[in-house]
Amino acid sequence: MEDKRETEQLTNCALCANMCKHSCPTYLATGKETITPQKIARLILYEKKSFIDDKSSFFDVMFQSAMCGACKAHCIYDNYDLRKFIQKGRSKAFKEGMLPDETRQRIETFMSFGNPYGERQLIQKGTGDIGYFVSCSAYNDQQLLKAIDKIITVSKGQVHQFGGADICCGAPLYYAGDTNGFKQAAEKMKGEIKKRKLRKVIVDCPNCMKMLTEMYHEVGIDLDVEFVHTTQFLNDILKEGKIKVNRANTTATFHDPCILVNDMGITTIPRDILGVLGFEIIEPVYSREDTHCCGGVCGARIGDCSLSDKLRLMRISELKQTDADVYLSACPTCKAVLSDVGMKDITELVAEQMIND
Amino acid sequence: MKVKTFMSRIQGAPSEFIEKVKYIVGEENVSEKECDLISYSLDYWLYGVYLSQYGNLPSLPGVVISPQNHDEIQGILKHANEYKVPITPFGGGSGVLGGTIPTEGGAILNLQRMNKFISLDEISLVAEFEAGIIGANLERELNHRGYSMGNIPQSLYCSTLGGWISTRAVGQFSTKYGKIEDMVLGMEVVLPDGNFIDIKPVPRRSTGPSLKDLFLGGEGSLGIVTQAVVSVHPLPEGTVKQSFIFHSIEAALGVVRRILRGDARPAVVRIFDEAETERYFGEIKDKVTVIFISEGDSDYVALGSSVIKRIAQENGGEPLGEEPVNIWLKKRFDIGLGPVIMQQGAIVDTIEVVSLFKDAANLYNDMIESMKEVDGALSVSGHFSHFYPEGACLYITFAGFPKDPFRYYQDTWTAAMEATLRNNGSISHHHGIGYWRRQYMQQELGAHGVELLKRIKFALDPNGILNRGKLIEDGR
Repeated sequence: MEDKRETEQLTNCALCANMCKHSCPTYLATGKETITPQKIARLILYEKKSFIDDKSSFFDVMFQSAMCGACKAHCIYDNYDLRKFIQKGRSKAFKEGMLPDETRQRIETFMSFGNPYGERQLIQKGTGDIGYFVSCSAYNDQQLLKAIDKIITVSKGQVHQFGGADICCGAPLYYAGDTNGFKQAAEKMKGEIKKRKLRKVIVDCPNCMKMLTEMYHEVGIDLDVEFVHTTQFLNDILKEGKIKVNRANTTATFHDPCILVNDMGITTIPRDILGVLGFEIIEPVYSREDTHCCGGVCGARIGDCSLSDKLRLMRISELKQTDADVYLSACPTCKAVLSDVGMKDITELVAEQMIND
Repeated sequence: MKVKTFMSRIQGAPSEFIEKVKYIVGEENVSEKECDLISYSLDYWLYGVYLSQYGNLPSLPGVVISPQNHDEIQGILKHANEYKVPITPFGGGSGVLGGTIPTEGGAILNLQRMNKFISLDEISLVAEFEAGIIGANLERELNHRGYSMGNIPQSLYCSTLGGWISTRAVGQFSTKYGKIEDMVLGMEVVLPDGNFIDIKPVPRRSTGPSLKDLFLGGEGSLGIVTQAVVSVHPLPEGTVKQSFIFHSIEAALGVVRRILRGDARPAVVRIFDEAETERYFGEIKDKVTVIFISEGDSDYVALGSSVIKRIAQENGGEPLGEEPVNIWLKKRFDIGLGPVIMQQGAIVDTIEVVSLFKDAANLYNDMIESMKEVDGALSVSGHFSHFYPEGACLYITFAGFPKDPFRYYQDTWTAAMEATLRNNGSISHHHGIGYWRRQYMQQELGAHGVELLKRIKFALDPNGILNRGKLIEDGR
């Protein structure tokens, strides 16, 4: 029954006029009709009905989505998310051994080290039942880690930081279509949180947050823990007066991370923080619900680095137009990918302007 | 290849042509992969869309080429002439008459990489864009800077500026801002032989017949529009929404005619017949609803809306306030029902025609009646939109659950076109001709009119390279 409903939803998408294509960053960066949402839906439908001969090029298309959720946010149908069907296509590619070479290499690294980057030290410091999960992207970001350390110290919070080594949310495996591997990663993460007896976890990466709060549930792993994104944590401690900040007198452009907007629905909190910090915000043409993926989220990067790079260049070009004094985001991946504009994480800005008494 | 094609089988392009094109645009921008050929096989011609759910596509190209500027297009067209390769331009793929179907295979020229905002001239109120930009993104670029082009078609989110130009498109706010042909001041065009012309942007000119008008409605058969300069307007300071109900289409048409004669220029005017009134507004039964949106300088808007109110009420209009307008604004891009009922076997489509005011009511009655008589018809409804002091566009939506889908589709279209011609109308207001409506061009233009178009086509494109099988025959 569910399969019939899903096929109806997919067919609606395949027969739609592509009303969301204007929002799709992979399409905008390449001009390729084949990777617009409606055409992807048609191809998935055709593959399901065995109308496709060239499986290899079909599976390549499955890995040419940023998985950013822009199409879902701009869909004319309720409760429909094309990413679910693309994800099934990726799982099929994995099962049939037809992953793009780039994806296969990344999975091999993950299998060897338990994370997508290779050998890492364990991060484990602080105490208490509130955790701060250092995402894989944040692991190498010393400015960000120092900033969060400073904020925790000044706010006199009891926060247990953990990450590094083989502690990873499993997102690379998820986006590579390795469902079993992802489930194992989810179980491992559940164990890491459980053994630390955490009741609440602050997460700096929106994509990790999506995995922990939504995709773990999809594979049957539920965590009895409250997850908050760093921006929510910062906003709370600012409101509660746990930290005090100096006001700036300059301009800032905030790059909305795609998953933070399209899956978490967070757009105003970062701007509220910037307001407290005294910045005049200059919005780029594409912001808030119309933001464009930086290309860094595993969606495209896991399978097609060239596409990922096109997204990066498009987003940099869009951001540069604001000519702001400071460029900010709330995702360590976005920060790393968009380094050409001197991107900072909003956490760093809060730490910089914090009054240390 | 397991997909079926009901027009032609794939006709590839010669490998020497493909190699030369790869040299021009780069290997990654030329594809012969199955997924790409499927994706560029069809636009939003609804009979084709209906069949596409069964893996039945009109026709497949042999190769897809994606250039990024007019230089590259010039090179491609020169080689296409050399090797006699049919070239089908592909903009947003939102056209509803099969204008981008590669009817003879050959090559698709995908224009969507050329999607940039170029400049805004706030002194002259004009802006320049590459032709492959999607309408919604064009508007976003302008809105961000405090302006709008004022062209807001239902396809805003999936159609391109080049597509608008090539089909003589129109937007929902046209009664104030005009059609696309009123908005385009200049353009850059690559001609079928690979030569390039730059029609400079000026408000009006007296330099012989308008070359610009060859490409406004050229449907990609006379040249490839690569960039255009369009007029823009400051975002409106004030907006007034009004609606009224009337007892008949005739009464509503009379009121709108008097309002426009009274120099009021609302941006949006729509007359919904009884069926569409009930579909949109639910609670209003057996009445005709008219909505108006006036926008611009607050003083003018206040004055214009007071003229609308006075004339509507003097002529039997019952005011309904803003709510129907808000409902329409909320639903105006929602095309979600079509795909749902197409899956159940329904044939659906829309037809837009245009006439003078004196013929408008007769045209409406005749079209509705003729289309309802076709075997398999379930629903035929209409609204008038896009008003001029002289007349208006009539937009009909139809659906049927026929035993023979093609017969129903063909007969319904023919009934509609013949009713239009009987009532002195023109067979298209803004969707264009494309592949499907070409069969009625002789009746529309007459034999000499068609011959003239063919000669123009042959003069520009002697090898019949560009968009074969659309608008007119290829001229060869």
